[in-house]
Amino acid sequence: MNIIEIENLSFYYQADKPVLKDINLTIKKGEWLTILGHNGSGKSTLAKLLIGLLRAKSGTIRIDNEELNQNTVQSIRRKIGIVFQNPDNQFVGVTVRDDIAFGLENLSIPREEMIERIETYAQKVSMSEFLNKEPHALSGGQKQRVAIAGILAMHTDIIIFDESTSMLDPKGRRMILDYMKTLNDEGVTIITITHDMKEAVLSDRILVLKNGEVLKMDTAANVLKDKITLEKSNLELLLPLKVINRLEEKNIKNEELRSYLWQLSLTG
Amino acid sequence: MKNIVIGRFIPGNSFLYKMDPRTKIIALIILMISAFVLRGFMNMFIALGLILLLLLLGRINIIRVIRGLKPLMFLLLFTFTFQILFNETGPVLIVFEQEASWTLHYSWLNILAVVGVVFFWFFTRRFVRFRLLYLVATLVGSIALLINLQLGYVFNTGDLTIHQNAVETGFFIMMRLIIIVTLSTILTLTTKPTDLNLGLESVLKPLKYIRINTEEMAMIIAIALRYIPTLLDEANKIMLAQASRGVDFSEGKMKDKVMQIVSLLVPMFIISFKRSDELANAMEARCFVPGNPRTRLHQLAWTYADTITIIISLMALASVITLRVVGINV
Ligand SMILES: Nc1ncnc2c1ncn2[C@@H]1O[C@H](COP(=O)(O)OP(=O)(O)O)[C@@H](O)[C@H]1O
Ligand SMILES: [Mg+2]
Repeated sequence: MNIIEIENLSFYYQADKPVLKDINLTIKKGEWLTILGHNGSGKSTLAKLLIGLLRAKSGTIRIDNEELNQNTVQSIRRKIGIVFQNPDNQFVGVTVRDDIAFGLENLSIPREEMIERIETYAQKVSMSEFLNKEPHALSGGQKQRVAIAGILAMHTDIIIFDESTSMLDPKGRRMILDYMKTLNDEGVTIITITHDMKEAVLSDRILVLKNGEVLKMDTAANVLKDKITLEKSNLELLLPLKVINRLEEKNIKNEELRSYLWQLSLTG
Repeated sequence: MKNIVIGRFIPGNSFLYKMDPRTKIIALIILMISAFVLRGFMNMFIALGLILLLLLLGRINIIRVIRGLKPLMFLLLFTFTFQILFNETGPVLIVFEQEASWTLHYSWLNILAVVGVVFFWFFTRRFVRFRLLYLVATLVGSIALLINLQLGYVFNTGDLTIHQNAVETGFFIMMRLIIIVTLSTILTLTTKPTDLNLGLESVLKPLKYIRINTEEMAMIIAIALRYIPTLLDEANKIMLAQASRGVDFSEGKMKDKVMQIVSLLVPMFIISFKRSDELANAMEARCFVPGNPRTRLHQLAWTYADTITIIISLMALASVITLRVVGINV
């Protein structure tokens, strides 16, 4: 079942500079899609269109069989959450507890249920001990985990991560990636926007954007070994894949080594 | 920068800390009104004694409260002096006879002229060599202005007389100010800024009848409270960055100071705009719609203790009014 259907979507900020050109895309329920692309290729714009922060100039977006428009945007936002890049600029509450509560308050969830959900989802992202902490007492990774809890608590089916790990240290990044995996295993549809091939490799499919157009859309394995596409969009191959390519160039055939390297790149 | 406290909340544990912020705000208002109605030396001292008792029972550091009164000293002295000099009602208490008699003139214009002179002195003193001399000259000049600038004629045949009402009124104003400031200090010392915000939102709710949305205002204040530490951090970082490029924030002349402030303010503005844009997106993405009804995690719970506190404050007001009406102004 398709949870997101995008048809002929176009967008521009200034009429003479199209940012997204005629995008077509379907995402299945429970799928994990990565959007790759160089800076300014329109990734964040696509994310903002999906969550109704921007309005499409032409084309349609359907989420869970509901067309996104002025009347449905509020009900669609209950199904789709987004974690932005900067951990500081999306932390609304004075404390962790208040921040997770923010979305629930907006949905007019009764207080008792709110308290329950806060406990549940804080635990889920291992932030239970930090509920009374203020944001400046938290690391970037912890703040991003709070953001995830805040979205999960709203019982969304889809989460978009717009370069959410790019400002984190390797440990914080690893942890967020682990949560993405867990959530995806539990059936949450995940869209990650990233430059990081290690992140892309975890997903089911990869969409490569270039100057607002779909350059390639295929399974993760196929895109990752597609040297030409990746070079075109200024993206770097993973190290094991580079080695495979070199081996091929030098005509060295060792199936065992090859499959091992391939395995290595897929597990990150 | 990290340790800048917002508001003056000091964590502690006493009944004052546990009290509902709404109760504290309402009681503060009632007691402030009482302080204005109150007259009489004895009554004033009794009121001050009661407040002292409140401070002791509430386990509040009295030194901290007194420190809070410090900025008030100038105002207190000024009003008192003003009363002594210019209030000429009631029986005469003391007469200071003077040999030579001057006529001081005072009117708004004279006072304005003196204020002008003082301002001039304040801004020019750094360019003058002999500062003490300059100060003396300014003082003499001010008095000369009062004597010679005969714009409004009111005051003084030469002897300085102190009248009873002057002393009384001056004293009462002083005491009232002290009481009011002490009471509000108690409120801010024992209430977290977020709770204070919540309480104010609730107390000011009736303002919706004149189309002021207190909920939105409270949201704005809450976000400001949340972002002050973040922005202070940011300012610190910018200052360090500018310092590494040779901007010296600690010294310099007026012109340099202005440059320093600009070099801090411009990036701060840009960063704040970017932040608020992203924050607005994050809030909207989480289903925030300004003005829509929302449930609240923090709900204030009214207890018996709160009712009793309000009743006690009302009783204080009632007794003060009674004293005034009956005429016990000792
Ligand atoms: N608010 C805006 N106003 C005008 N142009 C914008 C705005 N936001 C982004 N753009 C432009 O749109 C293009 C795509 O931006 P964006 O979607 O943020 O790219 P990405 O996230 O892939 O780096 C860029 O050329 C950028 O300059
Ligand atoms: Mg982006």
